[in-house]
Amino acid sequence: MAATDRTGALAYGNVVMAALALHGGLAPAPALAETAPEQGVIALRYLHYKDQQDVKVRYPNYSGTEGSSFKRITAKSPSVYVMAPIGSDWTIEASAVTDEVSGATPRNYSDVSGATPKPGMNDYRKAGDVRISRHFSRGGVSVGASHSEEHDYRSTAVSIEGRIATADNNTTLTVGLGHAEDTINPVNQVVVNEAKRTNELIVGVTQALTANDLVQLNVTYADGQGYFSDPYKNNDRRPERRKQAAGLVRWNHFVGALDATARAGYRYYQDSFGIAAHTVEAAWVQPVTRWLWVTPSARYYTQSSADFYYDPVMDSGYYPGPIVPQAFSTTDQRLSAFGAVTLGLKAEVRWADWTGDVKYERYEQRGNWRSFGKGSPNVDNFQADSVQVGVSRKF
Amino acid sequence: MKPLTLITGLALSATLSGCSTFALPQPWEKGNLARPEMTFGGDALEQRYQQHIYTSKEAASGGSGIGGGGCGCN
Repeated sequence: MAATDRTGALAYGNVVMAALALHGGLAPAPALAETAPEQGVIALRYLHYKDQQDVKVRYPNYSGTEGSSFKRITAKSPSVYVMAPIGSDWTIEASAVTDEVSGATPRNYSDVSGATPKPGMNDYRKAGDVRISRHFSRGGVSVGASHSEEHDYRSTAVSIEGRIATADNNTTLTVGLGHAEDTINPVNQVVVNEAKRTNELIVGVTQALTANDLVQLNVTYADGQGYFSDPYKNNDRRPERRKQAAGLVRWNHFVGALDATARAGYRYYQDSFGIAAHTVEAAWVQPVTRWLWVTPSARYYTQSSADFYYDPVMDSGYYPGPIVPQAFSTTDQRLSAFGAVTLGLKAEVRWADWTGDVKYERYEQRGNWRSFGKGSPNVDNFQADSVQVGVSRKF
Repeated sequence: MKPLTLITGLALSATLSGCSTFALPQPWEKGNLARPEMTFGGDALEQRYQQHIYTSKEAASGGSGIGGGGCGCN
């Protein structure tokens, strides 16, 4: 992604060039010319993620031996990112990540009795991507490819994105297209060599409203065909086509009196599974000393359930099935109606060409935190904790 | 009042109250806009982690970009 110096060294008189990346460059400067960065960047980052759920709901197969909480997934993920300018007109970016995932997830709702038996699953995911950008005086074109591989899942995606700015360089229009091909080979061999193909479109406008306000409006649309079911859950039969649309508005405001930046965003989402969702998020970036920045953040998310999600029938004669068989069905907690809150805190040190940061986030999902849609009763609350540690250096 | 209604109301009133005062920045007024924390792209790796976590735990996705690699995430 085009960028100027991460410290904010300014190319006065240059263009507003969008900060909209296909999946986010490491410091694309908004409101400035799209030129190749003067320096490259190398970044290392590590994520430690752990989630769990309450065990309060007594499903019909309740054994009486369940604890009060259930540890689900743990993931350890190191990653690396490199961005390098090639001459003044080209940039290449590449990244790689590995996920070491272990634990168990329920086969029905949040029913611990139906969870993957001990020792649970163990998976190792490798993913990488590369992106090449050509910069022009008032725009740019980027082409990218990514690949991700697990022992039972493989995904390959390509994308192309174009950006063009107005003469005053305060407005940038971005258009991008993507295509992904996924293959699924579950270890339980419920299905073999199933596939999924998805086409994606993004259209976005980034506007410098004032010397202290930058706003962005994006619309994304994805049309996927193929296998969307979860082979590890019972009674999971999903439609073979999923169309997803999302509209996102983001607003960054610089608060001069405090030398701080307020960041806010809202996203509306809707898909052909019958799910609608709202996401609201905000963060406050506050410099504390000349080299230390602190960022508290908050996010609220709420979704309605999929049309084919059915509430647990608390009768052992039926459970975990529905009372009336359905053409499509799921008991996946992620397709139920719920609300979720994330609270985060990040501390970042910037020192010459170096930056280092630590970020902690706490996430919780609850059925009764939903803002709309039918309730999805008898699903336990879910929590996740994540810590990220990152370091980057310009070269 | 549901939290969403309240948040939407606050966001709308904040946006509308600012509508009449836009003064598009001149080229020499873009210093603050160039600060790293004013970018939408942000840290690529941090955003990737965040997206990966949310798309594996929630039904909604999209809005900020396209072209990321998928996962089984069961």
